[in-house]
Amino acid sequence: MAFISSGYNPGKPMENRITDIGPRHFEEFYPPVIKNNKGKWLYHEILEPGVLVHVSETGDEVYTVRVGGCRLMSVSHIREICEIADKHCDGYLRFTTRNNIEFMVDSKDKVKPLVDDLMSRKQAGGCYKFPVGGTGAGITNIVHTQGWIHCHTPATDGSGTVKATLDVMFDDFRNMRLPAQVRISMACCLNMCGAVHCSDIAILGYHRKPPMLDHEYMDKMCEIPLAVAACPTAAIKPSKVKLADGSEVKSVEVRNERCMFCGNCYTMCPSMPLADDVGDGIVLMAGGKVSNRISAPKFSKVVVGFIPNEMPRWPTMTDTIKRIVEAYAAGARKYERVGDWAERIGWERFFEKCEIDFTHHLIDDFRDPAYFTWRQTTNFKF
Amino acid sequence: MAKHETPLLDQLETGQWPSFVTDIKREAESRAKNERNIEYQIPADVCEDLLGVLELSFKHGRTHWKHGGIVGVFGYGGGVIGRYCDQPEQFPGVAHFHTMRVSQPAGKFYTTKYLESICDLWERRGSGITNMHGSTGDIIFLGTTTPQLEEVFYELSHNLNQDLGGSGSNLRTPSDCVGQARCEFACFDTQALCHDLTNEYQDELHRPAFPYKFKFKFDGCPNCCVASIARSDLSFIGLWRDEIRIDQEAVKAYVGGEIPPNGGAHAGRDWGAFDIQKEVIGLCPTECMRYENGKLEINNKECNHCMHCINAMPRALRVGEDRGCAMLAGAKAPILDGAQMGTLIVPFIKVEPPYTEIKETVIEPIWDWWMEEGKNRERLGELMKRQGLQRLLEVTGFAPDARMVQEPRTNPYIFWKEDEVDGGWERDINEFRKHHQR
Amino acid sequence: MEYEEAKQKILDGLTKKLKSKSKFYFNDLSKIMGVKPREAKKVVNKMVEEGLLEYWSSGSTSMYGMPGTGKQAAAEHED
Repeated sequence: MAFISSGYNPGKPMENRITDIGPRHFEEFYPPVIKNNKGKWLYHEILEPGVLVHVSETGDEVYTVRVGGCRLMSVSHIREICEIADKHCDGYLRFTTRNNIEFMVDSKDKVKPLVDDLMSRKQAGGCYKFPVGGTGAGITNIVHTQGWIHCHTPATDGSGTVKATLDVMFDDFRNMRLPAQVRISMACCLNMCGAVHCSDIAILGYHRKPPMLDHEYMDKMCEIPLAVAACPTAAIKPSKVKLADGSEVKSVEVRNERCMFCGNCYTMCPSMPLADDVGDGIVLMAGGKVSNRISAPKFSKVVVGFIPNEMPRWPTMTDTIKRIVEAYAAGARKYERVGDWAERIGWERFFEKCEIDFTHHLIDDFRDPAYFTWRQTTNFKF
Repeated sequence: MAKHETPLLDQLETGQWPSFVTDIKREAESRAKNERNIEYQIPADVCEDLLGVLELSFKHGRTHWKHGGIVGVFGYGGGVIGRYCDQPEQFPGVAHFHTMRVSQPAGKFYTTKYLESICDLWERRGSGITNMHGSTGDIIFLGTTTPQLEEVFYELSHNLNQDLGGSGSNLRTPSDCVGQARCEFACFDTQALCHDLTNEYQDELHRPAFPYKFKFKFDGCPNCCVASIARSDLSFIGLWRDEIRIDQEAVKAYVGGEIPPNGGAHAGRDWGAFDIQKEVIGLCPTECMRYENGKLEINNKECNHCMHCINAMPRALRVGEDRGCAMLAGAKAPILDGAQMGTLIVPFIKVEPPYTEIKETVIEPIWDWWMEEGKNRERLGELMKRQGLQRLLEVTGFAPDARMVQEPRTNPYIFWKEDEVDGGWERDINEFRKHHQR
Repeated sequence: MEYEEAKQKILDGLTKKLKSKSKFYFNDLSKIMGVKPREAKKVVNKMVEEGLLEYWSSGSTSMYGMPGTGKQAAAEHED
């Protein structure tokens, strides 16, 4: 493996340096039918799950075929996407905010060969490479974070929990039988680098044990003031600790009852790991949305305080999600989102319909706003 | 024969949803065969070691990655996230495994030519594993060694006319919805504004000087497909101020069952015949519509732009023609003090290049305020909470407006300023005592 | 304030605190210089370019330090 220089000179990093050029200009990447009709679209229609048509005032039409994509994607897979786009779409494609891939063609007769091609491609184990769907009143792709593939503070895996969930919910990716769209999102720790807090259903990794303290190495590996300052709840303070050999070292002390398990201290200080096979697991949240349609956007609420990590397929978690979706499908009115449904029937009824136990963990006790989430009326149901 | 046994991960190779495990194995195989004779600049078996370390996490229920904060490219404070494996002897291929964020084009449209050039670069100088895309919107290059960071950046900037994205206490790479490029609902050109602000504020994006992260997101309409209202410090949401355009013939066609409602989104179940009274008029949150004698009427003055009727009958109803956007500030995920939605700070502003009003009366004064007053790791929304919406309005100069609140305050504890009270606060106690005994 | 003067203030300020920590928030640097953030940023950017300061990032937050100082480099195997 010989090192090949790009032209960069480490001795003179500023030599010929190009900076601050930003992303490529979006117009370079518009397919002609988009370029010609931008701002002129009249209406759209979903022709079948995963296939949309947009009609322009110029009379042009663009047909979009949406396929689910793993957000974790190899260059071999991207090259195959490119091969498909070259074959059917004159070399253009786009991605959606929710990690779907969209192939666009400019006439209806090109749709079926494209869909057939996409659905015919399978992986060795039988999984679809490019499942068509994710539109309308169904379940679209799950947005997620890195998890164990790349992150240093996850409480669960990202890609694994998502694969397990989408296998269970696959029919609803391919269909549009639900009262409205159901957006499922996944974040692998409470820092939520993927903001999942306004999703119909949110899968959240959660630690439940405060960090372990590697006293012997603390002062060698970490700058103690930085570890102390990293804690959002001020649970960490400097201390002196006597080791087994009698020597005294500088370290830290954690007030465990104040720990919210965020892992920020571990980011600053590798001598404070908090991951744990038993302590870590999943929190499920439900009833959030970002759309302003009919009702205001709302936050997801915690509906299951803890589910253990069950690798590789997290069956307790996927069963619970399935139960929520089925109860919602059976009970909600057309156009009603999960959160709107739960509010209409009452959260007490939501837990009953979804067969989820209500435990004290679900009562908010975090800072001032908690009070306003408690029931302050006699309008409730038996 | 795989380098590491992965019995747990192998169970994720079945089912119907695409398997990321199969995909990584495919990349591992491609690198092992190396049919294109690529001179790999990081270990050829990186993907096998990645699977190995992931399998170990599935077995242990714990991550095997450590954070690294020093790595980056020279002169930039963001765009690279350092990672080291905590079992480097067992998995040498991923001992260093840093992420690079590559600034995505607005709208996420691509040509295959561009994507292939990105693949060529990342296959040679990195793991060949990506995220398309990360949560914020960037193209993510997942895993390379420290010496390759500058090389990747040099090739991106010199050969692909492409820059890195943001991380840390920076402006994060802005992102937008598909907008007017392919959506009839979009009230402004999200791509144009996203691209313009991304380029205008490159210094803020690459050289961190903010108290914490800062996000712009652009939604063309109140459906909020990029979730700007929930996750961006400054959210731009397209709106119209005039009248919803109605095609009465198309309304009749919906009523007559000739066009499927909601763009066909409910086709998977028999919901019965479309009932305009129940499904549109009855669900209108402001009750500003009626359908009588085959004619739809909207009292537009009372419309609150929820999009329901337009979503339900896209061929009959269109957004108005006096278009622009609303701006909301302060949204964030729950860490630390709880989640916050964006708060309306500008009810309506025209979105026209070069966007001077947006930049000079909103963005820049807010940044100056936050940079001076924000505590370390305090998001804009937390500063707003601490100092009040009034303070933000003083900064931007926008007049207080009843639209900016859900409801007026329920406590009367108004912190009056001296200049708001006739005569000020300086009073003569002796004059007072003439009429009031001690 | 001239660049050289501001630069020296930062170098002195950071060196003085080295015993307890080697990484500082941007606000700490503006305070040491006693100028507004926008002014401070010009100085800091130049010092980074001259190799006198370097960035440290937690991923979500950024900090500044003098290259080679502190314990992080050893902990991250990048020394």
